[in-house]
Amino acid sequence: MPTDDNRQEVKDEIKPKDDTKPSKDGIDANVLFTEFKEHSVADFFKKNRQMLGLYGKQRTLTTIIHELVTNSLDACEEAGILPDIDVKISELGEEYYEISVSDNGPGIPEDKIGSALGKLLAGTKFHRLIQTRGQQGIGVSGIILFSQITTGKPTKVISGTSSGKTVSLEISIDSKTNTPKISDKHYLEKKFRGLAVKAKFKDIQYKKGQASVDEYLRRTAISNPHTSIKFEDPMQQVTEYKRTVKVMPKMPTQVQPHPKGVTVDEMLSLARYSPARKVSSYLTTTFDRFGQTAVDSVAKIVHFDLEKDPKKLTWEEAEEIVHAIKQTKFIAPSTDNLVPIGEEFIEKSLRSIVNPEFCFVYTRKPSVYQGGYSFQIEVGLAYGGEAGRLVTVEPSFQRSKKGQQEDESPREVRVSEVVRYANKAPLLFDAGGCAITKTVSSIDWKRYGIQNFDNSPVTVFVNLISVHIPYTSAGKSAIADEEEIVSEIKLALQDVARRLGTYLIQKKREEEKKEKRKVFAKYAPEVVKALVHTTNADAKALQKNLDKMVLEKLRMEEEAEARGEKIEEDVVEDNGASENDE
Amino acid sequence: MATEKKNKKDTSSKQNLEKFETETSKDIADRIYAISEGIVHQIENNHSPTFSTKVRGLSNVYFDDKAGYIQLGDKTVTRPFLNLGAARKFMQTMLVNDKCHEYLRHEKTASIREIYYELKHTVEHTKENTFDAQEESNDVIVDIEHSVNTIREKLGLHAEPRGSLYGDITLKDLKHNNDVFNCNSLGRGGWSIMSRIEPEEVEIVDVNADMVLVIETAAMYNRLIEEKYAAKSGAILVGTSGQAARGARRLIHRLHYEYNLPVIVFTDGDPYGWYIYSVIKSGSMALAAHSKYLAVPDAKYVGMTLTDVEDYKLQNVTEKMKEGDIKRAKEMLDYQWFKSKDWQAQLKIAIDKKIRIEQQALANKSLDFVAKKYLPEKIEAEKFLE
Repeated sequence: MPTDDNRQEVKDEIKPKDDTKPSKDGIDANVLFTEFKEHSVADFFKKNRQMLGLYGKQRTLTTIIHELVTNSLDACEEAGILPDIDVKISELGEEYYEISVSDNGPGIPEDKIGSALGKLLAGTKFHRLIQTRGQQGIGVSGIILFSQITTGKPTKVISGTSSGKTVSLEISIDSKTNTPKISDKHYLEKKFRGLAVKAKFKDIQYKKGQASVDEYLRRTAISNPHTSIKFEDPMQQVTEYKRTVKVMPKMPTQVQPHPKGVTVDEMLSLARYSPARKVSSYLTTTFDRFGQTAVDSVAKIVHFDLEKDPKKLTWEEAEEIVHAIKQTKFIAPSTDNLVPIGEEFIEKSLRSIVNPEFCFVYTRKPSVYQGGYSFQIEVGLAYGGEAGRLVTVEPSFQRSKKGQQEDESPREVRVSEVVRYANKAPLLFDAGGCAITKTVSSIDWKRYGIQNFDNSPVTVFVNLISVHIPYTSAGKSAIADEEEIVSEIKLALQDVARRLGTYLIQKKREEEKKEKRKVFAKYAPEVVKALVHTTNADAKALQKNLDKMVLEKLRMEEEAEARGEKIEEDVVEDNGASENDE
Repeated sequence: MATEKKNKKDTSSKQNLEKFETETSKDIADRIYAISEGIVHQIENNHSPTFSTKVRGLSNVYFDDKAGYIQLGDKTVTRPFLNLGAARKFMQTMLVNDKCHEYLRHEKTASIREIYYELKHTVEHTKENTFDAQEESNDVIVDIEHSVNTIREKLGLHAEPRGSLYGDITLKDLKHNNDVFNCNSLGRGGWSIMSRIEPEEVEIVDVNADMVLVIETAAMYNRLIEEKYAAKSGAILVGTSGQAARGARRLIHRLHYEYNLPVIVFTDGDPYGWYIYSVIKSGSMALAAHSKYLAVPDAKYVGMTLTDVEDYKLQNVTEKMKEGDIKRAKEMLDYQWFKSKDWQAQLKIAIDKKIRIEQQALANKSLDFVAKKYLPEKIEAEKFLE
């Protein structure tokens, strides 16, 4: 039965920092909480499936995998363990699957399993200003509930910690009270450390393609080079991504917003919840890099006393502060909280998983966008080899120049792909509405030697790191067009594109050189034969000398090129006038 | 109009022909051999092999006011083998050069289409052909003509013959049993003009005419034969079937210079037809080097003109001009030998009204109108476009 206490607990966990989240994030926790009070968790859940990313049969499956894998990654990283994650999907019937995800993480102590997994929205990371993958944490509990709603069955959990016993149990959620129900608990003989979750789901569908589990895991492997992932699909085909680095990523820390770029609205609402008794101390305690010097500077500009109670701050006064901040110098936002993957690791990862011919990566310096949130952009550009997405092209019935029928069998070609990440978590949906996709399209790739970007073997990797990712909607699948973010992505892409361009030009030159040698080599025997036929000269001697000259010419050209001289132009003859009068 | 007087051969212009007449196959073969030998020496001495010929583009042709025809300048182009843009053509040049040498040594001749097929093969170890189209070998042939400074016929090559000759003219084919024949008595089609019409091959034995009438279309040529126009007007008829081939042009040239016969050109009234006249009169860019032996600057143009449309009330049988024709008309406005007031006016009418008039349009009046009225009237009154 629901008790007030129970609800109060939830309230306390959620409420205090709710308002630190701007409303454009799409999830207003106040609303969430109100919903909680009035409806049961399950009702809330059903009503908000959309928001939780649990809509669309393929998308729901991908979201389930995302929640479970993210949970495993976070657990491993917090415990300083290099993650090994096994994912398995088995088909039980039509649109009916069993999914199991297990890791080698710290596991959950037996007495904490219920509260950790069986309580919706009980996560601790929901409203922290910290760079996390999920950021929202409907988490494993949401998945358990979804399994329960669609199949009526509990979720099987096996947990083993380094010290305790290995426990196996079944867990379900009393959706009326939002409390866990544990059953069939027993201990296993086998020593195991980590967490294994196995649940059944209906109303989902496994498909291959761009938004598939396969693609989600591939991209997760790319952005988490310290992780090994093994995946068995419903056809029992196993894909394995081995870790490419054995270094744990740095753990992100919680941070305060940077004053530059705080909006009036935020200034005001943060003031409402500040325990500070003066505006001046509100500013120094709430914001990053807001020291006494800055307060003095702001005090000189504004027309009211900063000793005032922050709860009584008016809109106009908040506006004045924001205005004053604009004229005040601040140290750039602290970046300790941002944990980029790092150029070296991205490159290793791309090389191992995408296996391109060439690869350029760039991690920009941290920057700040509207709202005072620091962020950082990492990009990678993989070209050639197995880069890009493999698609099958239906045969075309166009005739070639010579009138011959083109090959009629379907061909596999590589087209460009953009792999998007928010805090290393792959974004698979709503590509069209995403600032990353739009910025990639806005690049004039021709300038960098890629003539037809869409149909080139390119993988563009973009990772946005921030304590607060500006999503376009509750679905959390696309990044909003924040000016500063777009600009940083663009600068980063231009940098790697330039490097790729240089490489492509060099490559083209190499090919031309090879091509030249081939051209001369192929015609030389014909020339020699004709000359010998006319003059009876020594064929071998002629051929030998010609070969020598070809090599010498190419060598000289190379040297001239090295000296930066212009290479002799190819002959264009002015003998075009052949008229039909002969 | 017909006269009984026999045309006298004018020997004063004989020197024109001297060079071509005196050069033997051996001379030419030696020059071709010299080209190959020179290239062999280059290679033996580790010099990049090159082939030189005259530039034949716009940059190296000019209109010689005094002579009245297009001339070729002195610019030469050197084609190195070791250059990506030139390697293929160099290879092709060597093949054609060798083949011509072989023809000359064995006293064979081939058509330019035959040499194309004879040399076309797959380059060893590749999927590439030595020649993809006849235009490629044709180009190379012209290069060699200019490099050796001769005409293709001297290389043992000949173009596909085109054009017919009809009228009271007696020829002797020195290359075929010394046949002597009068072109009046070869049937309705007349004599097929050979590609090679040099004096050592075809002798003009006797001519009995007052003029040479050059006709663009085969249909009009046949019409005039049927109307017995040649006999009635004392004309030698040369049907060119479009642009005049080398043989036809050489024959017209010889009739004009050896027998002092006026040359009158009769084509469709459109830029293409006028260009045929232009080539006969002033030569062409592609054969600028040989204008001296081909061009007839005194050639007159009788029709069709767009003025004829008014004069003979042919308004309802004009045709619409194509874009390409209009473009050519605009280019012709700038040709120096079309700078006369009358021609400029004519071209401007064509460009403005975008109409053309065909020779056969005269049939709108009656079939024999062209032979009975149009040509006699205009030629008698010397209503030529100059």
